[in-house]
Amino acid sequence: MANIPPGGGPPGGEPGGGGVPFVPAPPQKPASMARYKRELRKETKRRHIEPEINFLNITAMLDMMTIILVFLLKTMTTSTAAVPQGEDLKIPSSVIAKSQCAEQLVPGHESDDCPEPEGIAIFISKTNVVVGDHAVCPVPPDADKGVEARYKRGSRNDYGIVPLESALQSFRDTDKKVRAAQHKDPGFSEAIVVADLGVPYRLLFEVLYTLGQNEFSKQHIMVLQGSATPPKTTP
Amino acid sequence: MADEIEQLSAAQRSKVRRLSAPKELAPDEEGGELNIVPFLDIIMNVLMFVLATVAVTFTAIIDTQPPRPAGASAAKPTTPTLSLNVIILKDGYILSAVGQRIGAGCQGTGSGLAVGLDPSGKTRLVPVGATGTFKEVREYDYKALTECAARLKGASPDFATEKQVVITTGADMDFQAIINTMDALRKSDKGDELFPDVMFGVPK
Repeated sequence: MANIPPGGGPPGGEPGGGGVPFVPAPPQKPASMARYKRELRKETKRRHIEPEINFLNITAMLDMMTIILVFLLKTMTTSTAAVPQGEDLKIPSSVIAKSQCAEQLVPGHESDDCPEPEGIAIFISKTNVVVGDHAVCPVPPDADKGVEARYKRGSRNDYGIVPLESALQSFRDTDKKVRAAQHKDPGFSEAIVVADLGVPYRLLFEVLYTLGQNEFSKQHIMVLQGSATPPKTTP
Repeated sequence: MADEIEQLSAAQRSKVRRLSAPKELAPDEEGGELNIVPFLDIIMNVLMFVLATVAVTFTAIIDTQPPRPAGASAAKPTTPTLSLNVIILKDGYILSAVGQRIGAGCQGTGSGLAVGLDPSGKTRLVPVGATGTFKEVREYDYKALTECAARLKGASPDFATEKQVVITTGADMDFQAIINTMDALRKSDKGDELFPDVMFGVPK
């Protein structure tokens, strides 16, 4: 027995046979705690996997998109959203690149001194004169003689349009109080005139005259920016 | 020498292997943020269709003053004023300034049209009422009108600060022609301000 090496013998050796008998190795003495912890740290470091970035980081792009979207919506709101263009209403184009007020100011100070035009919207289409959402009177086929006499106080030669006056008056009463509350001059109101490019001057003049007579002394005419060429149309 | 002797036991090796294994994140802990990629895919597609279908046109505003009723007039100025009046006719412009009518070719005073139609024969389409039809008419000579207005404004230093013009035309003149005339009178070719403040006169 003394000749048998420790842990030596093949497993399954025949006991008492000619082979070397299996002897289990004696339990190994555990290493010290310091050695154990050092090994643990080393192994943890070795097997550590850097977290893989398996998704696209789009936060920066989203920030940018949000800012662009805000500006886009703001531009569209002030420029096109309120102009329902169609066959009945095509607004004229102008070479003016920005609002007239902004053009007359020192560059860089437009936003401070040129507020967005506000006021009641008057649409003069090929068929109707519309205030806000309500059609106040039809445009006759011979609009170069103005609106029909039944919409005037006297004859057709008068300039004031009675249904338009009524619609303007109710808005004016409200606007007067609103302007006073906003510390603006309540002595006048503003109007935005959106007219078709083929509207005859007589009809345009009647609308502008009626506005002026009802204390809408600040009138804005809406045009398409950037080109004096009228939209392509089929003759 | 001590390290060579001090080997970890089997139990310790097993424990080291177990504790050093990298932790796997639970599905709900993965990434730590909301996966909005599918949402963005949808938004991008919708955005493209919206932009493709919406015709973006930009508008501008031209300020005007209401026409004054007959007889009403502003206070008399103390310095000489140009008081430019432009009348748009079918075949050109009549201009008057300082109470005098400007002659043909914008030279001196006299009768006739100060500015005529476009010499190159350029035409434009004018809608005929609400019928949806158009007629072709000769275009005005806007370049000559701008030059004439600049010449009149530069005639005296007293006129340098004057910005107002009165535009009058026939009852059937189309709105686009009026806007084009206002454009021609707003700025000179060099970009100097001419007459941006427009007042409309009673239709002829």
